[in-house]
Parts: sequence; C-alpha cells; structure tokens
Amino acid sequence: MPLSRPLPAGMLYLCLAILLAAAMVLSLTTGYRVYSLAMVWQALTDFDASEAATVITTLRLPRAVIAPLVGAGLAIAGVQVQTLSRNRIASPDTLGLNAGASLAVVVASAVFGVSSLVGLSLTAAMGALVTSILVFALAIGAGGLSPIRIVLIGVTIAGLGQSIVQIILTNNEAQLQNLLFWLAGSFVDRPMNLALNGAPIIAAGTLLALVLARPLDAMQADDDTASGLGVPVTLVRIGCFLSVSLLTGASVAMAGPVSFIGLVVPHAARKLVGLRHGRQIVAAALLGAIYATLADVAARFVIFPLEAPVGAITAVVGGIVLVVLLRRRAA
Amino acid sequence: MTGLPSQLSQARAPLALALLCGAFLLLGACGVALGSTWIPLEQVVSVILGAGEKTERLIVLQLRLPRVVIAALAGGGMAVAGFLLQKITRNALASPGVLGVIDGAALGVVIFLAALSNESNALVTSIAYQPLAAMVGAVLGIGMVFFLSGRQSTSAVRLLLFGIAVAAVFKALVMVMMLIGPIYRTSQAARWIAGAVNEINWSEIQVTLLMLLPLLVLTFFAARRLPPADLDEVSARSVGLDLPIFRVAIFALAAGLTAVSVAFVGGVGFIGLMAPHLARLVVGRNVYAGLLGSFLLGAAMLVGADLIVRVLFSPVEVPAGTVTAVIGAPYFLFLLMSRQRHDG
Amino acid sequence: MTDKAAIAVDTLSLGYGSTTILDALSLDIPRGKITVLAGPNGCGKSTLLRAIRRLHKPSGGRILLEEGDIAQLGERLLARQIGLLAQSPSAPDDMTVEELVRLGRYPHQTMLRPWSLADTEALERAMAGTGVSHLRHRHLGSLSGGQLQRVWIAMVLAQETDIVCLDEPVNHLDMSHQLDCLDLVRQLNSDHGRTVVLVLHDLNLAARYADQLVFLRNGVVAASGRPEELMTEALIAQVFDVDAMVITDPAYGRPLCIPLRTR
Repeated sequence: MPLSRPLPAGMLYLCLAILLAAAMVLSLTTGYRVYSLAMVWQALTDFDASEAATVITTLRLPRAVIAPLVGAGLAIAGVQVQTLSRNRIASPDTLGLNAGASLAVVVASAVFGVSSLVGLSLTAAMGALVTSILVFALAIGAGGLSPIRIVLIGVTIAGLGQSIVQIILTNNEAQLQNLLFWLAGSFVDRPMNLALNGAPIIAAGTLLALVLARPLDAMQADDDTASGLGVPVTLVRIGCFLSVSLLTGASVAMAGPVSFIGLVVPHAARKLVGLRHGRQIVAAALLGAIYATLADVAARFVIFPLEAPVGAITAVVGGIVLVVLLRRRAA
Repeated sequence: MTGLPSQLSQARAPLALALLCGAFLLLGACGVALGSTWIPLEQVVSVILGAGEKTERLIVLQLRLPRVVIAALAGGGMAVAGFLLQKITRNALASPGVLGVIDGAALGVVIFLAALSNESNALVTSIAYQPLAAMVGAVLGIGMVFFLSGRQSTSAVRLLLFGIAVAAVFKALVMVMMLIGPIYRTSQAARWIAGAVNEINWSEIQVTLLMLLPLLVLTFFAARRLPPADLDEVSARSVGLDLPIFRVAIFALAAGLTAVSVAFVGGVGFIGLMAPHLARLVVGRNVYAGLLGSFLLGAAMLVGADLIVRVLFSPVEVPAGTVTAVIGAPYFLFLLMSRQRHDG
Repeated sequence: MTDKAAIAVDTLSLGYGSTTILDALSLDIPRGKITVLAGPNGCGKSTLLRAIRRLHKPSGGRILLEEGDIAQLGERLLARQIGLLAQSPSAPDDMTVEELVRLGRYPHQTMLRPWSLADTEALERAMAGTGVSHLRHRHLGSLSGGQLQRVWIAMVLAQETDIVCLDEPVNHLDMSHQLDCLDLVRQLNSDHGRTVVLVLHDLNLAARYADQLVFLRNGVVAASGRPEELMTEALIAQVFDVDAMVITDPAYGRPLCIPLRTR
C-alpha cells in the first residue's frame, strides 16, 4: 500500500506557510553579516539610515521577497507543463521557456533599447509564450512526440536561444555587463521595484492556474477521456500556456533563468498532496517559495565569502533529481 | 556485403572524398586570406613557402594560419568522435556534445586552471597539460552518464537525457569554479566555454596535434571492428562484433578525441552530430571513407564557422561555437522529429 | 426519433479530407438496452461511437438525444448525458484510484459549485458498484489490467449519465477479465436502466451481451437487430468476408459463430 492518506490540506498549508516565513527571516538575517531579528524588525519598521538598516532594506529585503515569488512562479508553471505535456520531466527550463524568455529580454534591451521593468517583464512573458507554442507545435507537427522527445526539443531550443544571446551580447559590449549578471540567474542586487512589478504578474498567472485547476485534473487523462468529461481541451491548453508564460516571464524578468525549480518542486508537491491540481498548485507554490529562498541563503555560504549564483545551486539539485527520476523511469 | 547500393557507394567514395578535400582546402585558403585585411591567395602561398613581407608573414603565420589549423583539427577530431559514437550506439542522435563529454572537459579545464595557478595568476605548470585535464574531465563526464544510466544506456534518447542531467550539474560546477578563480582564469575559462578559435598559438597546436594523431591512428585500427549500422545488437554480438569491452573502449576513444579537440578551442557544439551524417550522405556507408569524410567535413565546418564569424561580425570576436550551435540546433530538431518512430 | 430511442443518428456523414468514413448513416439506439457495434476493421464503428460523443464533427446529418441535437448542447450538459470510456485511456501511474474516479464528477461541478455531498455519494456509488472501493488509495500503476479496467468503468459510472459509450473495453484483457468486464457492463445496464453502446471486436462476445447488434460496413449500417436475427451465415459472409458456421451455444442459447475460412 503506497503512501497513507495525506495530511489534511489546511494543516499542511499552514505548516508550509510557517516554514516559508522562517526561510524568509533566515534570508533577511543571515549572509556575509548576520543581523538579529530585532535589528531586522527595526530596519523594516523604523528606518534609521544606519549601515545595517541600509543593507537590510536595500539588499536583503528585495531578495527575500523576489526569491519566494520566483520560486512559487516557476513551481506553478512546472506543475502545469508537467500535466499539459503528460511528462514528469517537463519544466519551464527543459521546455526551453526560460531560454526563450531570456532571449526576448536580451533582444528587447540590446536591440530595441527597452529598459522599463514592466516592459521587460512583459517581453519575457511574450518570449516564454512564443517558445511554448513553438515547442508544442514542433511536437504536434511530428505527429505527437513522446515526452522524452519534447524535452529534447526544448533543451535544443534552449541551447539555440543561448547561442543567439551570446552573439547579441558579444556584439553589444555596453549591454554585456548589465545583462551577463542577470543571465546567470540570481536574486542578488535586484531593486525592490522589480518585485513590485513582478508580483502582480505572478499573481495573475497563479489565479489563472487555480481557475484551470479542475480541468487540469481531467487533462491528466488522455485527450479523449478529458473531452468525454466535457473539458474544452484546446481552451484549457491555451489558458495554461498563458498562465505558464506569465509566471515564467515574470520570474525570468526578476531573477534571470533560475534553473530546475519548475522540474523539482512539482514532484515534492505531488508526494505531499496527491494529484489534484487545486492542492498541487498551492503546495507547489509554497514549496517553490521555500526552496528558492533556502537555495538563495545557501548560495551565500557554499563558496563563502563569495556568493554563488543561486542558479548553480538549483542546477546541481535539479540535475541530481533528474537523474533519480530517469533511473526510476518516472519519465 | 556486396549489394548494389554498397557497390555504388564504393565507386562514388573516392570521388566524393577528393571533392571534400578540395572544398576543405579552398575554405582553409579563404580562412587565411580573409579577415580585416585581404591577402591575395598567391601571397598566402608564398608566405607559407617561406617568402613574403614582414607584416604579411605576421598576419598569416601568427594570426590567421593558427586559427585555421586549430579549427580544422578540432572540427575534424570532434566529427570523428561523433562518427564513433553514432556507430557504436547505432543512433544518429548521439554526439559528444550531448553525452556530457564537452561539459566534463570544461570542468576539467577550469579545475586545472584554478588548481594549478599561483598567487600571481600564472600557471605553475605547462599549458601542455590542459588537454590532459580536459581528457580526464571528458572521460569522467561520459563515464558518469553511462554509469548513471545503467541498463537504460541502450536507448540513445534516454542516454541523451542523462547527458542533459550530468551536463547541468557540471555546468553549475564550472560556473562556481569560475567565480572562485581570479579574473585571468575567469576570462580564460569564459573564452574556452564559448568555443573560440582565436588567440591560438603554435605551441597549443603542437600539443593538440601530438595528442590527436595517436588517437586518430587508434581509431583507424578500431574502425575495422565497428559494427555495421544495419546490424542489430544481438546479431552483432553473435558474430563477435560489438563486445561490451570494445564498446567501452570506443566510448573512451571518442571521449579522448573530443577532449583533445576541445582542449584549447572550447565547447563547439553540434559538429560531432552533423559531420558524420553529412559524410554518410556524401561518401556512403564504407567505414574508412566515412571516417575520412567525417574528419574533412568536420574540419571544413569549423573553419567555415570561424570564417562566417569573422566576415559577419568583424571586428567583434563572436565565438565560432555559437555559429555551429545556431546551424546545428535546427538540424538536431529535424533529426529528432524525423526519427520519432525508431525509438523513444 | 421514436420515444423508445435514446439516440437517433440521422443521415450522418463524416470523413477526413476526401476519405469518407461514415456515409449518410442512420441508426436508432434503443433506450435502456445494450447496443453493440461490430464490423470489419475500418468500417467506422469507433468513429460512429466517437461522433455520438461529439469527438468528431460530422460533415452532414445530425445526432439527436432526448435533449435535442448534440451539436447544440453545451460541453458540460453533453458530458452529463453521455459518458465515454475511450479506446485506450491513460492516466498517470501515480494517480490513485479515488483521484481517477473523481474525474467522473467533472461535468457536474462548476466554478461556483465545487465538490459537494452529492458528488461524494456518486463517487462512492461508482466505486462500490464496480467493486473497487477497497482499492481507493492504490496507485493506478500498481493495479492489474482487469482492476484497471474496472476503475476506468467506475470513472465513467461516476459521471452518472443515462448513456454510456465504451470503445473496445475488453481489447487488452484476458478471457476471465473480458467476461468480468462485460458482466459488469450488463449489470450496470440492468440495475440502472442505462443505455449502453459498445464497440466490440469479438462477434461471439457481441452476440452474448448485445440486446441490439449493429453490423457496420463501409460507413453504413449493413444490418441491425437482435443477435439471433443477425448472426446468420449469409450476413456474416456478406459483412466480414468470412465463411462461418453459426450454431446455438449449449450453455446460454446464444448464437455462436465458428469462422471457417476467409472468402
């Protein structure tokens, strides 16, 4: 008998929310310098322009907010693409959506000079949308590809995108410094504005995902069965593309391509709450937020006193999880 | 094998190879002649023969010729590695770029640069050991992929996925190693990872050539025992071809070839995938012709990619590896989609 | 449409491009009975079943339910009238039995009316009726082929539709599970008076379980009626191109076809 009856969902969400709060506190207090809770509290409520308060409000706070937003966004996007492609190793990165969003941002800023944060966020979302349509169109064009091949297509398109990014960047020396840092995938040195612009887009994507949760349940079965249950299959797919693009685009705009969060977290969420999407989405959002925040904290210590890009940490964890999944033939 | 098609291809192979050779030489000559200043072909020849003016000698012998030579060696070596991998896995999707070989080599190189540099950022040992480090890393990479995939390694598509996972981890480690290292090593490593053939000097070419030649000779002798592509695994084994130990040896050989090829040039993708295919189209199925054709095509492709980069983006030095990726990725997609029915 | 018919197919035509699959086909499917569609490969039986569930768009003609032309019905409304067990349904291996059967309640829910007590009751009835209640927390990947088919039937049952369509439900099952599955279908029909439309390959199984047997050939109805009327050597030869001997089976008194040779 596998896994006994899961925890009551409400209790679980509460536990996860508490964990998330703890992770965010950790993110605010620890790092190159360690601050006490009291100092953090004072800096946030009664800013006194001291060095500590400045570090906390301008450096620590943005990343303590952006990390969970990005983690939640990529995790929810991951849940949706895994169901949509009926593929447990799909994620915004393995389908090339992160790379598509990055390419769009690089083109927009290096070639067209877009610099507003909202503009870049929406550009990133457009890039993700176009890529997702491209990948699925290629898959359908080949007569419905096996899950593995969809991933190979996605990874190849990601590689292609990265090469084009590289060509553009080497030709735009001036933009290189700005963008190179962003392209590494990190939560460091992001202005608070970025979080304020990204949050509503993440919220919209999440809301759309929740609306689509029940049809998504039925989409886990084959197309005929889902249609037989009265699910407007094509409409749901379009809605999901939109939601995934918003979530991935906003995440990439905020943090750059942070890899493998969308691959790893949905598996953990399903282990905890089962396969119903209403629960899966909420659990994945919380778990993704916790995971990204903790990875961000870990990034400050793995090569202390230097800081590693958080993308390197999630890539190592993600690579290992992918190997485990492949060995178990989950995909 | 005396079927009509193989007879035909045997008749056509020498001619095709001669044509390939001619095309390669032409591209190579263009590679030397073209650049920020145009040097007429007859002057190029006279410089190579030992005559010519001082500035021309400098440009040709120190700047352009090394580029062309290293591009030819690296492209050819990777193409041969790809040829071996595609033969031994019986799958057209296999190539050194996707089996963890290149990322493994990258990790080897950054660790080599990081561990063996002194305080003032100078290497404490000869740069000649860099290919060795790349080779160790490459064998480690492909070894990991095969070790982790276990019995699933017979399915080439699944092998590719393990390759992706291993490559992701290695890439992350490379990124961290680069951050830890001082600026010199970072820029050295960054240049390496993108795959660029500029700033190569003759001593590096010497090292590459010295290590590549024995491997190519080995490949030549091993080729006789490569299983024909149209033989399935069980029957290949039953006629004494494709024994497990031989498989391992071929994988190691391919990893070695790739590592040496990329040791100074860096991660140039997709040549190991494309060149063997095109070679089969052009020269037919004969193993030796295929090997030679792959080498020539691979060499011509990287020389050509470098030429494109120089003509299109000059004076900015865009890494040649990006061009091969931009051309190679759609080709891979095409293969992936057209071979859907064979396995999955 | 007579009031005894649950579904009336009226001069239905359907095709892809220039190939015609159904050619002005008309058929009444009687209410509360088991109708089995049979015929040689490519005769259009699965296409007809799928067209009845509106998974194919016809090029001409219409399909009428009591509620009207199916082309006019909303997605959910139609899904509350007709349940479909697809030919080779699939769901994730790590989905639990209960999670799958729950899907059957999808058409009964709306954004404003999520899961309710009625849904729970229907879910329990469906699992009890198919004898899979004790498996509810098992993962689909851990079930046997026969158990899995029961679970899928439970899902269609949970939909609580008057009409149930099953497309070759016993295709990959062994003999005992074939009987098990079709007995279950007959029980659903007799206990709840549901109208059942089945596509079956095996003529003898078709004859044994059908109230009405329909032979299709080249996109039209070649013959329809009670199995005893249809299972004749002449008709089988005409529809299936097989010389066969038809006897009455000694156990159930149903016609039994013994194929002799192809014509």
